[in-house]
Amino acid sequence: MATTVKLEAGAAGHGAEPRGKRGDDGQATYLIAIAEALWEEMERDERVYMLGEDIGVYGGAFKVTEGFLDRFGSDRVIDTPIAEETIVGMAVGSAMEGLRPVAEFQYADFMSSGFDSISTVLGRYHYRSGVPMPVVLRGPSGGYVRASSFHSVNPEPWFAYGGGIKIVAPAFPSDAKGLMKSAVRDDNPVLYLEHKWIYRRIKEQVPTDADFLVPIGEADVKREGTDVSIITYGALVHKSLEAAENLAQRGVSAEVVDLRTVLPIDEETVLNSIAKTSRALVVSESYRFVGIGAEVGATIAEKAFEHLDAPVTRLSPPNMPVPFSPPLEDAFLPQVADIERAVEKLSAW
Amino acid sequence: MATEVDPTAPAETSGDARPLPDDELVRMLHMLKLCRYFDERMEALYRQGRLPGAIYSGRGQEGTHVGAAWALGPGDSLFPTHRDLSAQLTKGLDLKRVMAQFWGRIDGYTRGRDGNSHIGDWQGNKTFTVMSHLPIAYPVAVGAALAYKMKGESHVALAICGDGSTSNGRWHEAINTSAVHRLPVVWVVNNNQFAYSTPNMQEFAVPTIAERAVAYGIPGVRLDGGNILEVFEATREAVERARAGDGPTLIESVSLRWRGHAGHDPAKYMPDEMLQEYMANRDPVRNFEEYLLSAGVVTKDDIAEIAAEVEAEFEAGYEYALASPFPEPGDATKGLWVEDGYWTNEPGRGGGTEVG
Repeated sequence: MATTVKLEAGAAGHGAEPRGKRGDDGQATYLIAIAEALWEEMERDERVYMLGEDIGVYGGAFKVTEGFLDRFGSDRVIDTPIAEETIVGMAVGSAMEGLRPVAEFQYADFMSSGFDSISTVLGRYHYRSGVPMPVVLRGPSGGYVRASSFHSVNPEPWFAYGGGIKIVAPAFPSDAKGLMKSAVRDDNPVLYLEHKWIYRRIKEQVPTDADFLVPIGEADVKREGTDVSIITYGALVHKSLEAAENLAQRGVSAEVVDLRTVLPIDEETVLNSIAKTSRALVVSESYRFVGIGAEVGATIAEKAFEHLDAPVTRLSPPNMPVPFSPPLEDAFLPQVADIERAVEKLSAW
Repeated sequence: MATEVDPTAPAETSGDARPLPDDELVRMLHMLKLCRYFDERMEALYRQGRLPGAIYSGRGQEGTHVGAAWALGPGDSLFPTHRDLSAQLTKGLDLKRVMAQFWGRIDGYTRGRDGNSHIGDWQGNKTFTVMSHLPIAYPVAVGAALAYKMKGESHVALAICGDGSTSNGRWHEAINTSAVHRLPVVWVVNNNQFAYSTPNMQEFAVPTIAERAVAYGIPGVRLDGGNILEVFEATREAVERARAGDGPTLIESVSLRWRGHAGHDPAKYMPDEMLQEYMANRDPVRNFEEYLLSAGVVTKDDIAEIAAEVEAEFEAGYEYALASPFPEPGDATKGLWVEDGYWTNEPGRGGGTEVG
């Protein structure tokens, strides 16, 4: 069972503090789980290396790569100039020569600075050439940390649209570890989104098996329920679970499906849940307009029409910049109370 | 550092000190003439409506393309643009499969997934499959060079772009990063003096592109693209420097784009006097032919023989392309993911061999 650590929001979720270690009880934060996965994969396969801004001596803005330089050396932990198009290009070119790069973006927001290399080269190269492209791009995404417009982005729809890049967005430390190991071992490009609100807040018992993998493309039912299905991913999994707990006390049984991978979406698990509950609430931190939630909602409407007792409902922010001021950000992003209200409205149908 | 060359001066030749054995010089002439003939015939077929898609002529710039690619070994990689098909042919691409690509056939290098000179053959000849967002291959070349350095291999990556690309941020990013990490890469700029319709003077405010090398702490060379041996020798030197671990070099090879940006562009913005001057005095193919004749390396009969061979190669390629089947429509969505297995299986062959 995962536990939530109380943290003061602030400093855009930055980790000036050391990354920390697993407790004696074997519990690891999401941040530690991601670092463990990367460490183990670099130990396992010498073709795996990492590149990015300030990942060496500094250990990364959030301390994911703290200590890696000492263990693996500057040939495999490469600090680059601030040049996102080139960081991605380097990952692509080295993957073409048989290496398995993991490129860090200091914030997922800055993936837009490497947009062309990601969408034009990385996503389209294999289809046009047959060359495998084992590249992982990883970075902290999402809001809820008072980081405003340029440090709160959920970039998954930008890159889902073009196709050719798998996109994962885990919510739990164990899933984060298993999905990172799967991403590194995949011969296709994988965009790995780490929700910065989760980094140091959520911890749980995380497997230590060096070959513990969570398959890309499989959703997971995090809480069983019978009245309404909440389909979500990322930080909103935790907010949905909290909402479901509150709703249970009021006699409403919500099922929480964590997509874990947003491309490709695990339609089977989603549709099975709708077949059970007949009501769908799609909760996504990506924008309502052309966001991941829109796609999931459309899929449910198209493929589970005969099971539905109520309109498919979406809960997502509007497509506009994420505001800074705490009351504004709270109003902008879906909150636990918003989820509860939406579920109650659906369950009343 | 930068060597000043007056791009309007007549091309110089290397005199008696020839940089390559005579048989190799003859093969170089063959390649130049093949590339020129291909370029002219493909444009004719395009204008006749017998060629689908687009063409991007590299005419007048073959000295840069063939000369630079000639300096590479089989293990070295090439990162070209759509205008650099001559460099890809020099690197070893099969003309038959190149032509199958132009007609959208299954035997093209991209199996119909891309067309025209958006081509590459990484698995065979180590050339990057061209993309339009120039200079998008520059950052990728940095990655290949990084891999050579990390693996202790002596290979070199060579990337080509045009003068237009030098205005783009990625050009700076890539060269700077390669210089910081001292990577085995050669940066070639085919300065054909026009970015689509925009002349050099509206692209940058310094006299030459080569002098920008100073800002990256690497050597820069400006040379005459009308003289293939000058291009070859400068590139060979840069390749050797990169192989020795001494980092990147920037080469600016000056020529003129004789045709429009693409087949549809009549290039009315091109000053006629300038074009006539380059075609008359700075033709890399004719210059080299005349040089080999005057040096006694070839006779007029040899040249006629090469011309006949080139024509026959083109006709064989054309025949092959039109006989190659179209891809299966049902395979359109296959090959996006490695696990599809599409690229490791025998290609699916559809029907129909009519001219597109």
